[in-house]
Amino acid sequence: MTKSRRRIFTLLFGVMVAIAIVISQNPLLASSVGKDTLRMITSPDYPPFEYYDLGAERKIVGFDIDIANYIAKELGFKLEVMESDFSGLIPALQANRADFAMASMNPTPERLQNLDFSLIYYQGKDTIIAPIGSHITKLEDLAGKRVGVQLGTTQEQSVKEIAVKLPSLEIKLLSKAPDMIQEIKSGRVDAVILGDTVARGFTQSNPELEFHELSSHKPAGGSAIAFAKDSSLVAPFNQVLQKMLSEGEVEKLKTKWFAQKSPTTTSKPAAKGLNLDLRRIIPDIPFILQGIPVSLLFTLLSLFFGLIWGTLLTVCKITGIKPLIMFANAYTSVFRGTPMLLQLALVYYATPQLTGYDISALQAGVLTFTLNSGAYLSETIRGGIQAVDKGQTEAALSMGVPYYLMMTDIIMPQALKNILPALVNEAIGLLKDSALVSTLGMVEILRSAQIVGANKYIYFEPLLFAGLIYYVLVMALTRSATTLEMRLRRSE
Amino acid sequence: MSETIIRTEFLCKSFGKLEVLKDISTQVLKGEVVAILGPSGSGKSTFLRCLNLLERPTRGHIYFNDREITHPTSTNIAKIRQHLAMVFQHFNLFPHMTVLENVTYAPIKVKGVDKQKALSFGLELLGKVGLAEKADVFPAKLSGGQKQRVAIARALAMEPEMILFDEPTSALDPEMVKEVLLVMQGLAQTGITMAIVTHEMAFAKEVASRIMFLDQGSLAEDTTPSEFFSSPKCERAKQFLEKML
Repeated sequence: MTKSRRRIFTLLFGVMVAIAIVISQNPLLASSVGKDTLRMITSPDYPPFEYYDLGAERKIVGFDIDIANYIAKELGFKLEVMESDFSGLIPALQANRADFAMASMNPTPERLQNLDFSLIYYQGKDTIIAPIGSHITKLEDLAGKRVGVQLGTTQEQSVKEIAVKLPSLEIKLLSKAPDMIQEIKSGRVDAVILGDTVARGFTQSNPELEFHELSSHKPAGGSAIAFAKDSSLVAPFNQVLQKMLSEGEVEKLKTKWFAQKSPTTTSKPAAKGLNLDLRRIIPDIPFILQGIPVSLLFTLLSLFFGLIWGTLLTVCKITGIKPLIMFANAYTSVFRGTPMLLQLALVYYATPQLTGYDISALQAGVLTFTLNSGAYLSETIRGGIQAVDKGQTEAALSMGVPYYLMMTDIIMPQALKNILPALVNEAIGLLKDSALVSTLGMVEILRSAQIVGANKYIYFEPLLFAGLIYYVLVMALTRSATTLEMRLRRSE
Repeated sequence: MSETIIRTEFLCKSFGKLEVLKDISTQVLKGEVVAILGPSGSGKSTFLRCLNLLERPTRGHIYFNDREITHPTSTNIAKIRQHLAMVFQHFNLFPHMTVLENVTYAPIKVKGVDKQKALSFGLELLGKVGLAEKADVFPAKLSGGQKQRVAIARALAMEPEMILFDEPTSALDPEMVKEVLLVMQGLAQTGITMAIVTHEMAFAKEVASRIMFLDQGSLAEDTTPSEFFSSPKCERAKQFLEKML
């Protein structure tokens, strides 16, 4: 029996290592830095500038990507496209996680303090989006209203300037364009400010909304390519950009991307309700399903390493050696006492800057979850070990069984049975919390759903579908845990 | 003159302020079957558990085969315990292992006995305690008496120089006491050294070659069974026997 258990563990470990290797070779998840490769980072939720082609290849495409490809080719590099939340772009450049960022970024004075920018290659117009019939068409109409803008954008800047003149204006900062549209539809804001290209897409998908260009408003700063401060790439990039602008290459790309219809299917207008139409996401279901292995791998790796780390912490706690006990207790209290999202951001962004090691999103996620989960599990395991009858220890000692053999062969198998229900809870928690790594740009289930939503300018359908997937996975996990528990209890 | 297996000198054990053992000096010779008797709380079990250091003596010395095991530098307690097997009141079988695995685990993992040899020896021992057909059963499926017979086989599998029995029949239903005592009686006849903490007076009288009577942590009598049961010297032993018989 002990032999068959070891075989199961070996098998599990092998499978996970194999999957980890496969995943780490996926360029979207781990960056392979070569000198012949330029690493671009973007936030692919902004069609048609950058978004996911939902085909089998899961490629990030768009106007910005074409420009980047052109430049890279001219300069004799290969291009690797990585992704992150918009708010993660600048930290990624500063952490040398990417060579440049393109995401319709405007070179604001604040950003220029920390970053270098290329020439402006695209001049967009800001628009105001509001429900049809609300008569909000210009910034002056916003007196006494609530307006949503995207955090860290130039629009945030301009609205803040207007707010000085319109003190009754209430500003709500939001992180993603799709969220902003939902805020209007939920009535939490009266209008939002977005670039014209995206505004067109959203109003097509949401017929109850309309947009107006802000002509009176001073033009937005325009889009430029962002680099880390003092990057040697700025000059060569500008040369190519200049050439593209003067030779009409940029115009060609504009026609290619902005003339074509946005990748969306319009629905019939509906006055009330969520206006759900699940048929809209049917073609994209395979794309969302591809997030499942990522979420599962993440969960399994975290649980596996969390168990090992939790066991080590437990050993520290039960040795009776003072410094070890103090370390384990302090560790546990810190990791249980701070939010995981915060730990995740620290590990992901601080590791490259502190150690110079470019930690991938998967590694950062697994590391954080392992550290966190270990803290919780160490308490669970300690409880499980202490619940094993003292007579077991005495019987083992009386036969001269050494301590480590006693723990692995006698005590742990029995403790495992005690803690199995708690372990299942931990696994379920990890599976659901795995959605947090979407903030690092890992395309797991939730982010896949968000990408589909961003592409189609819809919101609830992909989220509901993602929820269904999580639910089914949790049910499957619960089922298999019950089976395992029965197996472990067959000795009773 | 038989050789001494274990010897104690001024053995003392306290739990906090409670003195459980007071200056016990005695020895057990090879082949002896010692029954340790006494009222509850007299320190019988503690004395037995000190012999394989499951309890650390507070003061005094214990010698195993003339080597002191209580000496601070004597580190290899595990090695010594292999020669001093123990049978517990509550059996303490490993519930996640089959009967045969229980019996063969320590010989294979601790003593490094060849697996096939250990398995066939384990089966032989299970046969001796009358449980060969239960080899692949988990302990939960056994009666109390059967469990204790497995525990005895497990102790024997280590081929110890001495077996310590800590109230081996106290947790059993009355109808199961006999089967365990019969096994122990058979064992005594093989000449193996045994120390048995027990309340089974008839068994002690018939099987033991020597009686130790503990009272309030002291070794009050150390004599032969016939003498102890017919003419106990101390008053406490008389009272004890009146109650028990």
